[in-house]
Formats: sequence, structure tokens, C-alpha cells
Amino acid sequence: MTVFKTFLQVLKKNKFIVIMYTVILLIFGNFSMQSNQSSTNFEASKPTVFIVNEDKEEGITKDFIKYIKEKCDMAEIENSKEAIDDALFYEDLSLAVYIPQDFGKDFMEGKKPEITIKKRDSYYGSLAEMLLQRYIKVATIYQKNIKNEDELVAKINETISKDIETEVTTKIDTSALTKAARYYNFSSYSFLACLIYIISLIISTFNEEKVQKRTTISSYNYKKFNRILLLGNSLYAFVLWILYVVMSFVFVGPTMASINGLLFIANSFIFVICATTLAFFIANFVKNKDSINGIVNVIGLGSSFLCGAFIPQEWLPETVKIIGHVFPTYYFITGNETIAKLEKFNIDTLMPVIVNAGIVIAFSVVFVILTNLVTKKRRKV
Amino acid sequence: MNNVIEVKNLVKEYKELKAIDNLSFEVHEGEILGLLGPNGSGKSTTINCVLSLLKTSKGSIKIFGEEMKPDSYEIKRKIGVIFQDVAVFDELTVYQNIDYFCGLYIQDKVTRKKYVQDAIELVGLQDFVKFYPKKLSGGLLRRLNIACGIAHKPKLIFLDEPTVAVDPQSRNNILDGIKKLRNDGATIVYTTHYMEEVEILCDRVIILDKGKILAQGTTEEVKELAKIDEKVTVEVNNLDSSYIEKIKQNSNVDEVTYTDGVLLVKYKEGKNNLVDMVEFLKKENIKYNKINSEKPTLNDVFLELTGKELRD
Repeated sequence: MTVFKTFLQVLKKNKFIVIMYTVILLIFGNFSMQSNQSSTNFEASKPTVFIVNEDKEEGITKDFIKYIKEKCDMAEIENSKEAIDDALFYEDLSLAVYIPQDFGKDFMEGKKPEITIKKRDSYYGSLAEMLLQRYIKVATIYQKNIKNEDELVAKINETISKDIETEVTTKIDTSALTKAARYYNFSSYSFLACLIYIISLIISTFNEEKVQKRTTISSYNYKKFNRILLLGNSLYAFVLWILYVVMSFVFVGPTMASINGLLFIANSFIFVICATTLAFFIANFVKNKDSINGIVNVIGLGSSFLCGAFIPQEWLPETVKIIGHVFPTYYFITGNETIAKLEKFNIDTLMPVIVNAGIVIAFSVVFVILTNLVTKKRRKV
Repeated sequence: MNNVIEVKNLVKEYKELKAIDNLSFEVHEGEILGLLGPNGSGKSTTINCVLSLLKTSKGSIKIFGEEMKPDSYEIKRKIGVIFQDVAVFDELTVYQNIDYFCGLYIQDKVTRKKYVQDAIELVGLQDFVKFYPKKLSGGLLRRLNIACGIAHKPKLIFLDEPTVAVDPQSRNNILDGIKKLRNDGATIVYTTHYMEEVEILCDRVIILDKGKILAQGTTEEVKELAKIDEKVTVEVNNLDSSYIEKIKQNSNVDEVTYTDGVLLVKYKEGKNNLVDMVEFLKKENIKYNKINSEKPTLNDVFLELTGKELRD
């Protein structure tokens, strides 16, 4: 109780730093979620397309052009190779599509006329290409059985509009889940930074060489001493976690009460345990309180960058992802991304989440063992 | 007499350096043992080995009749240590600091409260209990440091140079406190390089140098190791060298020096050396300002044994 009481007294003495650090990171977390959310919201903006049509604008060709105009913004540029290349280079254009002469006639005859495209190697270029291919795929499937052009156009529109309706329904959920995933992905940095900073601050106070020497020669069992400090740190971590969970309900909304939301919460709880043990381990090496900020940046910020806390993992280069595997944050974020995509919940769909959480727990166990080894060795001199 | 500490053939090596070289000594129950030696003589290393803060290379250490190991918590319960450097939490008040370190030994709240109060009174910090360490003077900090080390009422106390850089008032307070602890039954190991403190406090002395024991015994026994029996100093101006030669002819005289107007005569033996010197000065009609006689100090012993001063 003596050690725990002193832990709280030291925490109280540093309360200004504790509150400031926690609140600032919480605010940053929510800012990050908002900015991430708008930057990954595909619905808000459309790719810009330029159509070079050499066919007659009638029948399926007319409908195809109409479809493109609905789905994409039209670029207002001169119809010349140089103008198109320039627009692509300066990112004014995502994709240029060339509809060849007799496209409609050849398509109805089942000749598979080739549409040429020229695109930027970018997200919008790929999105535009995907939209075009979807129309052509649907049209090709129906063309085999429907020989009447008007009927074919009607069937294509029916299918695509249904497709869109389904997609919109899914997007509403996905959007909230993506938002939640972003929030909890960023929280990995907040948890690491807060816990490493605060726990290092407190442990370095207890581990200050002269004070530690006095503790070492006392009759207080070092394992019990470590356990109590771990308990104190865990209490702080728990309070921090509760704060983040409450804020996730405020910022993400009712989706947090869904199974996906509860899985996010459970996953983050496991990560907080891991971050606490990691912070406790690191704190044992902190000799100078001035170095804590540097350690937070190197470990907290560094691992968060490498593991996809700030940008989605799929955007990270392969090498970075490979390096990221050595940090528990990677598995926490992979778990979040998986949870965000879960629609059905059974042992098969949940297995990747469980495996990732298991790896995070394994990291925690390793950190606890290492901490005990380090402190034991230090006591023996 | 019971031995509280028994150290046998203790060796501590750092690669090529032998910090402690085959050290053997005992500390008896209820005594104050002074561990004397210049910086780097091995005093702190010896204490750290005895407390299992350092691994020993060879030898055995027994405290209260049991082998001392890092996890000898029952033995540690009876030990208090006051290190040379102040070891307290800046984040805690005087009271909270003493309560924390006492709490590492004493779990019962009521007993602890009484013990903490006793420690505060012993070091005279009653008026500063709510102060944070940064607000305390160097002397008060030292007193707090001592209170943190002895609050749990240990039976064996190690004091490692507790009076370094403290004001005279605090030093007296600390020395009085140490005497009181001994009177209350504690056994004390006191390391210092202030020989006057050793002479005031210690029942026995061990003089260390280069990790070896040069001498041990009561202060009187150790002083007898000195070749000289008495030192007479005379403040006199422009003394002719012929007088020095005359003084040297006295068979009791061991050594005569004259520097900066101070004549120093060291006697091997003799009961009336001071009187003889006064008469000699009168007979030779030498005018002097001051004359003084001293018995040899521990520093003289150390000087003789090692050829250097304790504070070197």
C-alpha cells in the first residue's frame, strides 16, 4: 500500500502534465479521425474523365456515355493528344476514354470492341477505370442473351442502379466503421505516447539511482514492488482507456454499440494492456526525465507510422509493413481493419481478429517477462 | 560479545583492479565502528558488498549470524542505511518521504506513524514536515536523509559520510542523533574521513587504504601505533637554525620542523615535554606568541602508515 500510495502521490504531483498530455492527445486523436475520414470519403468526390467518342451517340454508346457522366466529372479540355497528356500530368484529369467508331454496332454483334483508356496511376484513375469496367462487364453478360439494344440498355441500367443501391446501403455502415477504425488506429499512438510518457515519468522517479538503492536494500520484496507499480500504471491505463472508449461513442456514434463497435473496444483493451507493459518495460531504462519526450517520439510515433496508425495499412509500402510486424501496434491495427470489414460473425470470420489479439497478448507477456528480468538483474548488480 | 557483522576474506575485483583485498573484520553488538580512509580507499565498496548491493568476488559475509544475500529480507528488515548522497523523492514532503521509506519495512499504519514521528523528532525536523525537499537547506536535507534511513528503528545502521558539506548546527544535531541511536541499542557502522568525528563517536576504528585494513582497534589502541607520543607547536618568529639543532639533542625528540613561523616538535616519549620546551625557550631568551601541546591524532597514525593525509 505504501508504494501504491506514493505512486498516486507522484502522479498527483505531476497532475498538470498528466492531464495536459492526455487531453491534447485525445483532441489530436479526434482531429485525426475527422481529417482521415474526409480524406478517405470516396463518395464526396468523383474522378474526372474526358470522353473521346468516335461512334454515333445512340443506343448503348449513348447510355455508356450517360453512365460515365453520372459517375464522373467531365473534364473541359481540348480534344487533342497534347491537351489530354498535359491534363493527366497536371492531375486535372483522372482518365481519358476512347470509344472507337462502330462501338455500339460491334458490341451488339458480340464482337467485343476494344475501348482504349489513358489514365493516371492514381486512386481516382483506378476508380474511373473500375467504374467503366463495371458497365462493360454487366453489358457483356446481358448482351449474350439480349439482342435488342433498347432491352439491353434497360437491363443494364436496372442492374447497375440496384448495384448502386446496395452499395449505398453498405457504404453508410462502412463509413461509420471506417471512422471507428481510424479513431482506434490513431488511439494506438495516443495510448503509447500517454502511457510511455506518464509511466516513464513515474517509474524514473522511483528508479532514480539513489532512491532505488535505498529501496533495494530495504526488506521490500522486489517482485511485490514491481507488481504494485504495475497495478498503479494499469489503473492509469484503464482510466485512459475508458476515456477513449467514451469519446469514441461521442465521435463515432451509435455504431460503437454494434458488434463491430464492441470488438473495437475489446481489441483496444487488449492493446492498452500491451502498451502498459511496453511502457513499463521502457520506463525501466529511463534514467533522465528529459529523455522521455525523445523516447515517446522514437517508439510511440515511430511504431505508429510504421504500423499504419496515421494512414491506412494498405497504403504503406511493403518494406514498411514488413518492419511494422515487429511492433504490437501492427497487429492491433490489422485487427481494427479486419473488424471494420466484418459483416458476419462466426468463428471463421472472427479468427483473424482473435489471432491478431493473441499476438498482442503474446507481446504483453514478453514485455512482463523482460521487465522482471531487467529489474531482477539490476537488483543483483 | 556478539558479532552483528562477520566479514571474512572479502575480495571485490573490477577486472584488473582489486577494490577490496582480503578484508576480514567484525562489528560487535551495540558499538559504533568507524570505517576510516581517504576517498577511494574502499569504504563505500565494503559497505555495498556487505549490503549485497555489489556481488563479491570472494569471501563470506554474515549479518546477525546469517549469510547475507540480495533476497535476505529478514536480515534487511533489521538494517538501516544512510548514504552519502541524499536519496529522497522531490515529489513528496518531508513527512511523506519518511513515511514511504519507513513503509518499506513497517506495514502497520499505527506503528509506522509513531516511528515516523520519532524519526522526525530525532533529527529535529518538526517544523519542516510539510516542506518539499527542494525547499530545505543542505543541512536539513541531510537530516531528512538520515530520518528516512532510520525511521524503521533498525538494529544495524550504516552511515556513509552523513556529515559531508553540512553546517555546524546540523552536524552537531546529526552526531547527537547518532549517539542517541547507539544509546537506544543500535549497532552503527560509520564511514567518514573526518577523524575528529570518529574520535568523538566511535568505540572502535578500522583504517582502510587501497582496499586493505591498515589498522583496527579502539581509537586509543590505534593511536598507539603512532611513533610519536606528543606534539608541541610554538609560534615564534625568525628562529635561528642553531636552536633547532639544540632541540634535536633531546633524546625524547623524534622530529623537529620549522615552517612559516611555526616550530613543530614531535616527541617519542616523555612526561614533561611541554614544560621542558617552555624552560628551553626561557633559557635561550626566545620570544614566542603561543605554545601548544597535542596528543597524536588518527590522522598522524594514518600519515605514518601511508605517508599521506586522510583527506588527500
